[in-house]
Amino acid sequence: MPGTEQRTDVVVREVTIDASPETIFPFFTEPEKMLRWKGIEADLDPQPGGVYRVVVTPRNTARGEYVTIEPNSRVVFTWGWEDPNSPVQPGTSTVEITLRPEGAKTVVRLEHRDFPSSEAATAHVEGWDHFLERLSIAAAGGDPGTDPWIENKGEE
Amino acid sequence: MEAVLKAIAEPRRREILRLVWDRELAAGEIASRFDVTHAAISQHLRVLREANLVRERRDGNRRLYRAAPEGLGDLKAFLESYWDAGLQRLKVEAERDERRKRARNRAANRRRRP
Repeated sequence: MPGTEQRTDVVVREVTIDASPETIFPFFTEPEKMLRWKGIEADLDPQPGGVYRVVVTPRNTARGEYVTIEPNSRVVFTWGWEDPNSPVQPGTSTVEITLRPEGAKTVVRLEHRDFPSSEAATAHVEGWDHFLERLSIAAAGGDPGTDPWIENKGEE
Repeated sequence: MEAVLKAIAEPRRREILRLVWDRELAAGEIASRFDVTHAAISQHLRVLREANLVRERRDGNRRLYRAAPEGLGDLKAFLESYWDAGLQRLKVEAERDERRKRARNRAANRRRRP
C-alpha cells in the first residue's frame, strides 16, 4: 500500500545509574561527555531546533535535532544515520530520554520511536546493506562505538 | 543471532548476500563472480545457510540460492542492542563522575568539620 508506511515499532530501554540526574544530564548535551559514551566526534547545539552530529565510527554518522531540553530531567531529539542508504534517515525517528531520581540513583529511560518497520527497512537491498554493515560492526566489537573510551579507561 | 553475526562478519559472505538478495542464483554463477575457488564459495554458502540467511533449492544437479531476509532478525532488535551497549557505557562513565563528586564533597565536609 503506497503512502501507508508502517511506523509501529518502539524500542524502550531502562538503566539504573548510581549517579544524580545532574551528573548524567550533561552526557547528552556536552560534546566531551558525549564522546565518553558515544562517538569519536560530536558537534552539539543543545537547544530546541539545534542540530547535533555525532560521528559514531568513521563510516557512520548519526544526525538529528534537539526537540525538547528540560535540564536534568528530559531530552528529546530526532535521530537517524546520515548514510543515504540507511533505513533510518536523519529526522525520521525520535529518541526521548527521561531521568527519574530514585534515592541516590537515577533511572534513565530511553524510548526510540517512529523508526521504519523492519519490513520497510529490509525491503530494499540498500537498507539491507546498511543494516548488515552495522550488524557486522556489532559482531566485531559488541557495539559500533566501543573504541574511543577504551583507550582512556586506565585514567583512574 | 550469534550464527548470523558470525556469518556476516566475513565481507565475501556479505557480498554473496547482496548478489542473491532479489534473485536466485546457482552456486556456480555465484562462484564465477569471485576470484576464489568454488570450494571456498561453497563453504561460505554453507555458513550462510546454517545461519538461515539463504535458502537452498535443488534443480536437477544444480543448487540454487536466494537470500532469506527474515533470518537477519529485525531493525528493532538491532536498535535494542545498539542502545543497550551505549547506555551501559553511559552508566560506567556517569558513575565514575559521581564517585569523584562524592569524594570531593566528603573531603570538603572533612575540612569544614575538623
